[in-house]
Amino acid sequence: MHSALLIAKREYLERVRSKAFLLTTILLPLVMGGIMAGSIFAASKGGGLKHLAIASNDAGLAAAVKAQVQKGDNPPESVMVVAPATEADRQELVKQVDARTLDGYLWLDLKPGKSVPQAIYASRTSADVFSVSRLQDAVSQALMRQQLAARGMAADQVDDLLRKVDVKTAQVKNGAIITSDASKSFIGAYVMIMMLYFVVVFYGMNVARSVIEEKTSRIFEVLLATARPESLLMGKLLGVGAAGLTQVGAWFLLLAVYSGSAIAARAGVNGFASFGITPLQLGFFAIYFLLGFFFYSAVAAGFGASVSSEQEVQQFSFFIVAPLLVGLIMMSYILSNPNSALSVGLSLFPPCTPIVMYLRLCSQTPPMWQLALSVVLMVAAIWVAIWIAARIYRVGILMYGKRATLPEMLRWLRYS
Amino acid sequence: MPVVELDRISKSYDQKVAIKDLSLKIEAGTMFGLLGPNGAGKTSSIRMMIGITLPDSGTVNLFDRPFSRDQLSRVGYLPEERGLYKKMNVMDQLVLMGQLHGLKAETAQQRARAWCDRLQIMDAADKKTQELSKGMQQKIQFISTLLHDPGLIIMDEPFSGLDPVNASLLQDTLLDLKKQGKAILFSTHRMDQVEKLCDSICLVHRGEAVLAGTMREVKSGYERNRVLIHFEGGRDFLGHPAVESFKEYAGQAEIKLKPGANAQDLLKSAAERATIFRFELVEPSLEEIFIKTVGEKVDA
Repeated sequence: MHSALLIAKREYLERVRSKAFLLTTILLPLVMGGIMAGSIFAASKGGGLKHLAIASNDAGLAAAVKAQVQKGDNPPESVMVVAPATEADRQELVKQVDARTLDGYLWLDLKPGKSVPQAIYASRTSADVFSVSRLQDAVSQALMRQQLAARGMAADQVDDLLRKVDVKTAQVKNGAIITSDASKSFIGAYVMIMMLYFVVVFYGMNVARSVIEEKTSRIFEVLLATARPESLLMGKLLGVGAAGLTQVGAWFLLLAVYSGSAIAARAGVNGFASFGITPLQLGFFAIYFLLGFFFYSAVAAGFGASVSSEQEVQQFSFFIVAPLLVGLIMMSYILSNPNSALSVGLSLFPPCTPIVMYLRLCSQTPPMWQLALSVVLMVAAIWVAIWIAARIYRVGILMYGKRATLPEMLRWLRYS
Repeated sequence: MPVVELDRISKSYDQKVAIKDLSLKIEAGTMFGLLGPNGAGKTSSIRMMIGITLPDSGTVNLFDRPFSRDQLSRVGYLPEERGLYKKMNVMDQLVLMGQLHGLKAETAQQRARAWCDRLQIMDAADKKTQELSKGMQQKIQFISTLLHDPGLIIMDEPFSGLDPVNASLLQDTLLDLKKQGKAILFSTHRMDQVEKLCDSICLVHRGEAVLAGTMREVKSGYERNRVLIHFEGGRDFLGHPAVESFKEYAGQAEIKLKPGANAQDLLKSAAERATIFRFELVEPSLEEIFIKTVGEKVDA
């Protein structure tokens, strides 16, 4: 145990003192925050539609659509109406779009006797989905208003009728209804899962790489002359794991500082609860993070010991973390069906446990026995993974130059 | 009391036999050379001595007791290639190695400083390993092997990559340690070093010991059948019946005697015909013995 702790200290300090550690600890939250802020900003900007023209043979319809377009958030700076429009007007509009004085024009052709016009939106880009859906809404709303008005309804009654209904969510927990915010707990789960995934993958691969480094530089031969391979491996996992926890801890600290700050309060954030993260979830995050980390790192270490170069690790790394991806891919299914047989089964299958069980936990607290069983199963799986990895470690590390075949690895397990 | 005793150890990997029935003993206060061509099984036998691998059969005794891992704190092992953390500071690395061998951090640090001073690499102590030359790294590795004052020192090719000045510095250090009563094993294929330093040897070929004993024993098994003469004057003594073959250079000749021939007869005959400055009955060099033994085995 003494040597395991010495090795752990070394691995920990080497990582924590590196520039890369400092950079990722500080930069990653900034980049993530930047991406979030960026997408919120982009969404609020409404797709960049600034100068619009509405052309129609029906002046009433054009005016109604214009009124509707200008109603929403972030309306275009100018909306020009051309009505009744002729083919010559269309040529002129095309020229203006080409000359960039217009972003696009909406052509509404209401055939006599029809109630729905033919609508074409022409712009320089064909993929401006956001503007198109916005115009689509505006045209339908305008038509509805026109139709309702034609049937004798007063303008304020129409407004009332067309008001959006906001569906709030609630969660049934232990027989009682509690208010919850679906989008918040989804975002909370999402952030935590991404963190878990990133850290487990990043540090697991880190372990594999450091095993290869020891193998190629033959440090391992010196170390093996002082301690058992199991202690060396344990030390490595403890050290690298502690470095990972330090990083996650720093991120949580940043998040806590942010969520407790005045800026956050203005954005309606007050403490972790604002992200839909409960203390129970936080506790289990730590537990599943550690379990997941040890499991995947032991697998990665055994794998690192059986190959001879970093490139090979990169080629195969996908297969190692594939079970974690299963959880990510099935995220929305698990969040909405936390107690289905599939969700329960996956959450008790050790390679999937950290992510799937955590997702279930975010959606609805699973029965205690399932939580306990998942932890027991994971600890057993970790023990097996470390035992196998230590075997491969000891023998594989002394073989150079070629990758081991599966039968060879099975034979190594029997070597003492 | 032998410090290391291997008794008929064998080890196979898959179908390949790495070591077969190897026995050897190393006493305290002696230097032992483990020789053999590349791939003969030198490193395999060393690994079994320190428990990196275990023999399939046979026993390993360290310090007069069956091998157990707690004895490893009394062993210093220098592997053939450098085994150092590249990005780690040299002093931290030495302290870690000392601690892994059971020293306290402060003791390890003090000893590391003393050794760095002795091997003239004090400047390197605060650098990262990857910034050092190959020779410097070898010295660091050398120190990390000796920091915990081991009773058994095992060195696999310790002088590779060193210039002559540094090689002789390390040789002197090893001789000093031998005087202090340490048992030193070193494995090499550099015969000249073995000849200068070792008290006993074991020559391994294809996993088997083909020659073993003290240097004197080994050499006495081979006849002194080579004569070196420096002379001036008549050279027809080279046709003497005792001469099997010869090579002649300016003023000197290297003669190989016939089996059982008397060198004194040749000296008399030569002295009658020429002025002799030097007449030496040369014992075979270890290199010749090595090539002869291994070569015979290859032929067989």
